[in-house]
Amino acid sequence: MASETVTPAPRILLRRQGMWRLGLQRLRRNRSGMLGLSLVAFVVLVAITCHWLAPYDPNDQSAALGFGTSKGPALLHLLGTDRLGYDILSRLVYGAPTALAVGIGAMMIASLIGVTIGGIAGYCGGMVDELLMRFTEFLLVLPVFLVILAVVRLFGIMVVGSWLERVPDLNLITIILLLGCFGWPSIARITRAEFLRLRHAEFVEAARCIGTRQRDIVLRHILPNALPSIIVVVALGVGGAVLAEAMISFLGFGDPNSISWGQLLYFNYETMRIAPWATLAPGAAIFITVLGFNLLADGLSDAFNPRLRQ
Amino acid sequence: MSASAEPLLQVEGLRVQFHTRAGILDAVDGVDFHIGRNEILGLVGESGSGKTMSSLAMLRLVTPPGRITGGQIRFDGHDLLALAPKDMASLRGRRIAMVFQNPAYSLNPLMSIGSQLAEIVRHHEKLSRDAAQARVLDLLRLVGIADPTIRLRQFPHEMSGGMKQRVCIARALLCNPALVLADEPTTALDVTIQAQILDLLLDLKGRLHTSMLLVTHDMGVVARMADRIVVMYAGRVCETADSRTVFRAPLHPYTIALLESVPRADRAYSRDGVRETLPAIGGRLPDMLSPPTGCRFHPRCPEAIVDCSRVVPLATEVSPGHVVSCIRRGSRSVPVTP
Amino acid sequence: MNGVARFIARRLAFGVVLVAGVSAIVFFLVNAIGNPIAMLIAGQPNATEEQINQLTAYYHLDEPAWQRYLHWLGNLAHLDFGTSITYNEPVSDMLLVWGSETLKIQIPAILIAFFMAIAIATHASMRQYSRTDFSIMAGALLGQSLPAFLTGLILILVFAYTLGIFPSYGAYSTRNPLLGSPLLDALWHMVLPVSMLAYFNTATLTLLLRANLVEVLRHDYIMAARASGLPERRIVFGHALRNAIIPVLTYLGILFGLMLATAPVTETVFTWPGLGFLYINAIQQLDYPVIMGVSVVIAVMLVLTTLATDIAYVFIDPRIRLD
Repeated sequence: MASETVTPAPRILLRRQGMWRLGLQRLRRNRSGMLGLSLVAFVVLVAITCHWLAPYDPNDQSAALGFGTSKGPALLHLLGTDRLGYDILSRLVYGAPTALAVGIGAMMIASLIGVTIGGIAGYCGGMVDELLMRFTEFLLVLPVFLVILAVVRLFGIMVVGSWLERVPDLNLITIILLLGCFGWPSIARITRAEFLRLRHAEFVEAARCIGTRQRDIVLRHILPNALPSIIVVVALGVGGAVLAEAMISFLGFGDPNSISWGQLLYFNYETMRIAPWATLAPGAAIFITVLGFNLLADGLSDAFNPRLRQ
Repeated sequence: MSASAEPLLQVEGLRVQFHTRAGILDAVDGVDFHIGRNEILGLVGESGSGKTMSSLAMLRLVTPPGRITGGQIRFDGHDLLALAPKDMASLRGRRIAMVFQNPAYSLNPLMSIGSQLAEIVRHHEKLSRDAAQARVLDLLRLVGIADPTIRLRQFPHEMSGGMKQRVCIARALLCNPALVLADEPTTALDVTIQAQILDLLLDLKGRLHTSMLLVTHDMGVVARMADRIVVMYAGRVCETADSRTVFRAPLHPYTIALLESVPRADRAYSRDGVRETLPAIGGRLPDMLSPPTGCRFHPRCPEAIVDCSRVVPLATEVSPGHVVSCIRRGSRSVPVTP
Repeated sequence: MNGVARFIARRLAFGVVLVAGVSAIVFFLVNAIGNPIAMLIAGQPNATEEQINQLTAYYHLDEPAWQRYLHWLGNLAHLDFGTSITYNEPVSDMLLVWGSETLKIQIPAILIAFFMAIAIATHASMRQYSRTDFSIMAGALLGQSLPAFLTGLILILVFAYTLGIFPSYGAYSTRNPLLGSPLLDALWHMVLPVSMLAYFNTATLTLLLRANLVEVLRHDYIMAARASGLPERRIVFGHALRNAIIPVLTYLGILFGLMLATAPVTETVFTWPGLGFLYINAIQQLDYPVIMGVSVVIAVMLVLTTLATDIAYVFIDPRIRLD
């Protein structure tokens, strides 16, 4: 049955390329993952176009004199006004960039710390690993939320009267920094697991055999293959950070000068009875954002580590 | 050598299909065999031959995405495929029992041996706790476990592989079943233990008159154990005969090739002082999603002719007790449906 | 059993060290922030000179930090946490009273979530891949994404404001307890906060348990149990559940440990007089005896729950040894 076939010369694909393309293909077929991606894209779009999208200036209180405060949705104000006369829709829209800044900013800090610590622990093993992991476990069990609340407040007291007080959005920046500095343990854990797994992989052995430097092994071989799993945890973390900031602001520890969904909730919680839309709108916005990142993370996880389904 | 009167188990036209995203897979495609009373039937084949699926089908334990899609299984007068689920469950473990391949995984790691086994016998026979424990002890002794009272409270991880398999055999025999299905019972064990377990099974068969369906890929095991042998390939039966005939006068080319490829101590694999390679069956196992048309073995068969891909051979009795599916041995056939 | 006793002793000792360590960190953090006298003033702008002197003497504010810490530790040994600056009550009493309010809603929430998750997850895993299974999974995913405090807001909006069935704040009615019974009144107030806490936990536990059950049901010993004729119910509850529940127990342990972390938001939403609510106020008011007291409670909770989880593991899984 031999026939003449012309086999094309074998193309050497970089291991990295094949993995990403395959994963993205699988992601496109995953319905919940794509839903998550679209939700996230939607929020990003709103954040980018907030200037043009919002019908009013977010600090515009003129409605207090005309349309009225705590009025329900109407043509003039699509989501109504809150108790101080702000247009809810505009404030909602301007909350998007804040949320993304918090989520992405915090996760970038957390990723930096987490990947470094997890990578060292996973690659070096032994005592270093033990120590680092004990520390990580400790932070995981600690109710960091309460610690962050305390630090935010105490920091606020500290800067009174100093030059720091004049830094714009200082409170928000503090929150982002804290969320990043306390949000790295889960990233460290997954990084360590991946490094442990890949440390003994065949292609790493092969690289070692040909004398590749340690640094190159880690950066060019192990890290890119660990990235998919790390990205999943980071995606989850962005949603988590957005939620954390919302809760921090809701409890009154947020930045009163910034427009965030949590702040909106904090302002309008007292009047929830007469103006429920003022709390429902930011609540829904938070939900959509968190849901989007959760679904995206789920989809990415399935795309890069497909489990056997029917 | 045939069984007296009606066979204990009669399987006709068994079909097991898998519905996967990539297509429909016929794991078991029209398989016939029977087991008489007090008889060991060896079911031999490579992986993917459908032998494990066939044995699971006896207990209707085929799980989705697999499904039994056709055929008849008659056991002791009952049509198993037509039974209500409750009646089928009542048969399992009581009249038909199974011993699995890997004893390390077929015992619940979080329960003591005693409680796992007692649970089964109490379910089927509604015995008191003491009576159940006594029965478990009896069986542990029967399978050759010393100090059974100590073993009762032990957990699987505290036992060796061989002992675990003895426990699994004891579990199968708790309610004195008429038929025991053994799926590669010794494959996961050390070679020295294998012999012990096989001897145990033979001994038990002699004492309890239990019939056995022994699924394996190891010709050596069937040579030792089986009264009759069924050879399977790619979901179909190639040849059925009693053990002696299969080893002395095999008919089907696959059986012949299989026997050839087993290394034997009484053969010199050299010619003129030059060592030859061990004979192996050329080619690869077929892709079961798109198997070869006609006879499934024909791409690897040294005796294949053009017709072999055009017709499906049917199991034909070419001499008493000897059934073959090969058109080159005189089997009937049906043309391939396009 | 000697091994178990030694294990517990070791962990308890480590726990004491941990509590001391955490409290030291918090103490010195608070003191490092700034001059405590200045902080006192910042928190109590109307304090008179005399009051300041009194407080300074009471809290030994004129002594170096480490000495103050030792004073505080010494008091701690007598279970004297000091007096709250804002409420002017002994902190230890406050911890007990407010703490029990928190436990009142947290513990039932966790227990309810646990048992509901078992019921739902076993139901789903027995019908794997069916429509029921998928809708349960979708519901749980949704529940997990809906942040707990949003659930609380919605619960209040729907059940308290619109339907008026349940009260929207507080743990007790100030007058006219429900049907004249203080017990019923307390329970009535508990319904919404407990539901909020239980909802999120149920979703997470259900997803976790279902995934584990599905995984465990694939194992050979489950197939062997079926081959032995045991009914499916017995297999799921007696065999599969036992093996699948272990990670869930870990998560339960985490939930118990997180009780205080989730408390502030819940208690703010429902204006519930619990430890979380107290903590938030204390931070706002810079009432640092209370802050210290709550921190100690947190540290103790941490130690106890990790210890309890570890011990539970040993009893559930015979494969784990204590050496």
